[in-house]
Amino acid sequence: MNFEQLLFYLFAAALLGSALMVITLRNPVHAALSLVLTFFSGAALWLLLEAEFLAITLVLVYVGAVMVLFLFVVMMLDINLAQLREGFVKLLPVGVVVALLVIGMMVYVVGPGNFGLEKFAEPVGHSADYSNTKELGRVLYTVYVYPFEIAAVILLVAIIAAISLALRKRPQGKRQDPDLQIAVRKKDRLRIVANNPKGQPGSNAGDKK
Amino acid sequence: MIALSDYLILAAILFGISVAGIFLNRKNIIVLLMSIELMLLAVNINFIAFSHYLGDIAGQVFVFFILTVAAAEAAIGLAILVVLFRNKHTINVEDLDSLKG
Amino acid sequence: MEFEIPKMSAALPEMFVLGMACLILVIDLFLTDKNRIITYLLAQATLVGAAIASLGYQFGSPEIAFNGSFIRDAMGDTLKVFIYLSVFVVFLYSRSYLQARNLFRGEFFVLGLFGVLGMMIMVSAHSLLTLYLGLELLSLSMYALVAMNRDSSYSSEAAMKYFVLGALASGMLLYGMSMLYGVTGSLELSQISAGVATAGAGNMVLVFGLVFTVVGLAFKLGAVPFHMWVPDVYHGSPTAVTVYIGSAPKIAAFAMVMRLLVDGLEGLQEHWQGMLVILAILSLALGNITAIAQTNIKRMLAYSTIAHVGYLLLGVLSGSDSGYASAMFYTIVYALMSLGGFGMIMLLSRTGFEADRLDDFKGLNERSPWFAFMMLILMFSMAGVPVFLGFWAKLSVLSAVVEAEMVWLAAVAVVFSIIGAFYYLRVVKLMYFDKPEDNTPIDSEFDVRVMLSANSLAILVLGLFPGALMSLCVNAFAL
Repeated sequence: MNFEQLLFYLFAAALLGSALMVITLRNPVHAALSLVLTFFSGAALWLLLEAEFLAITLVLVYVGAVMVLFLFVVMMLDINLAQLREGFVKLLPVGVVVALLVIGMMVYVVGPGNFGLEKFAEPVGHSADYSNTKELGRVLYTVYVYPFEIAAVILLVAIIAAISLALRKRPQGKRQDPDLQIAVRKKDRLRIVANNPKGQPGSNAGDKK
Repeated sequence: MIALSDYLILAAILFGISVAGIFLNRKNIIVLLMSIELMLLAVNINFIAFSHYLGDIAGQVFVFFILTVAAAEAAIGLAILVVLFRNKHTINVEDLDSLKG
Repeated sequence: MEFEIPKMSAALPEMFVLGMACLILVIDLFLTDKNRIITYLLAQATLVGAAIASLGYQFGSPEIAFNGSFIRDAMGDTLKVFIYLSVFVVFLYSRSYLQARNLFRGEFFVLGLFGVLGMMIMVSAHSLLTLYLGLELLSLSMYALVAMNRDSSYSSEAAMKYFVLGALASGMLLYGMSMLYGVTGSLELSQISAGVATAGAGNMVLVFGLVFTVVGLAFKLGAVPFHMWVPDVYHGSPTAVTVYIGSAPKIAAFAMVMRLLVDGLEGLQEHWQGMLVILAILSLALGNITAIAQTNIKRMLAYSTIAHVGYLLLGVLSGSDSGYASAMFYTIVYALMSLGGFGMIMLLSRTGFEADRLDDFKGLNERSPWFAFMMLILMFSMAGVPVFLGFWAKLSVLSAVVEAEMVWLAAVAVVFSIIGAFYYLRVVKLMYFDKPEDNTPIDSEFDVRVMLSANSLAILVLGLFPGALMSLCVNAFAL
């Protein structure tokens, strides 16, 4: 077993183990953290496949943004954990059988018979001065410029949708309005009152005479 | 030597785990959404493995777009989840039974 | 590296819709609720402009642009024009409905237009990548539209179900696409088609990928057994959104099926034909039979949609140009009828009253003989009563199936359409022979009344002269 194979099996085991934890753990926060580990292992495997840019992107976008969003939502909602787990044990045998059937069938199709080394030889690695990022960037802005623009529109739709769904104006909420803060004048805030505690004329601060 | 089939089998098992996750966690929408993310990860591994062994960058480009779309999808899905929780105070799928017929 | 500047002019309608949608998004920010109508007018102008762009600048032969990501052909142009038309009618019906419910916001029109853009991209897709991105652009817009009424627990529940099942379907579709890519080594549909020819129809991995692809498509189309979301989404959404989902996206879904199965995977026809036969029979059976048991007319029309998807698949699976043309004819006719059906619900509804129960249609003839007659046309057409437009659509699909030497399948379809006629005619019976439950006069806006009358009369007139529309569909495949 060479070093690459060792890495492959190590990260593949971590990937599958953490994926199993995602679907079996009781607490959604723990499940989300397991998913983070799954994504890290996936990114490591992508590095083995020389997809460096996407491996980094997976960590940055998924672990850095999507999973944080998940964790925010999990913690924001007050979820009754016990209730959500009902039926899990009852469904477990059926679930395992279904999963094994699906996996068995899929592994048969994508197994060594169709995609073994004799069908697809391991490609020669790129030279050291090859830049995956540069290569991706070059096709992204030329050949795939149309899909790239569509992806931009999809992100715009996501922004509009998320804001229009989740934002609500709270009438009782306290907030600052910089516009009003700047426009304020001395007479709005400062009131000079005649204060004459002893009743002596001339001792008043506002009185110039 | 790592064969293409090794990566594809790994992705297939991951896909199976995500299907099982959807099946087992039918009550908990958060874990349901995470299972769907697992499914997309399996698809992405497929594409990148094919891209590497075919020596064709198009598979990586597809993954780039799947990542983009999945992030957008997660944002909308979680926004819907928040709206749902505000209305019903639960994310238990069994309580989502007002639409029937 | 070889690269030439793409032929941008081919995508002129897409660019116009995108530009206008962004413009409307910004303009809407500066509008107060009082003059929000400007957003509506601009959205309608966008659709008209897009139609002009699509019709005015046509190519004689199919034009592939953007390095194989995009195709402009006769089928695409025809479908796009009907998408604009449907969404135009949807916006028109929706205006007063939304105003009455305090939902008249810019987002509805902006997201609606982005959905249109997604449909256009699907219709013009020539690679797996653009097909997927167009589908997601449409889906994401629709998820948000379904959840638009934030204070309704029905809407948010429907949106959640729609979202989870839609995301699952995307995952399935993508897994299938990854297999197709792995075998053929390309994302472009014409190269996939060539790759399929080289690999041969017996290639196990291709068939494996095809299964996942068809499952994903069936989810998006709402074909049985992947139909669970359809009734809930139709029922739970505000009716303005239901009519949107029920009309134009079906046209886009038809285009997606055509692009993937015919443009890309025609070499695997012997395999997908069998799968579509199963989906079609199940959809016809479950759609028509379950619709009988419904008391809510939105749910009833949802199950009727499932049945109509079955007929649409019948046209596609016959696997000939005339079959594809008949499926296209059926899709367009279905979109027109669906617009009318849901439009009628919106016409009868008013503030605080949705008119979505079947009982709300009781005695409509006494309340308004004219609109009862319009509804009669729509129901007869959906049921497939001769001389109405729906009849010709069913006839063309069935004759395509018979041509493909599957007479038994045509017989099954006829039996289920007779069963289906029952629940459409029940609506007619309720309107003409029952006493109304409330006698509130119908006070809808003038434009809605005119449009709805035009919509129903179009079905009547086109039913008398079906040749024009049919030849439009035949010409789309005559290249």
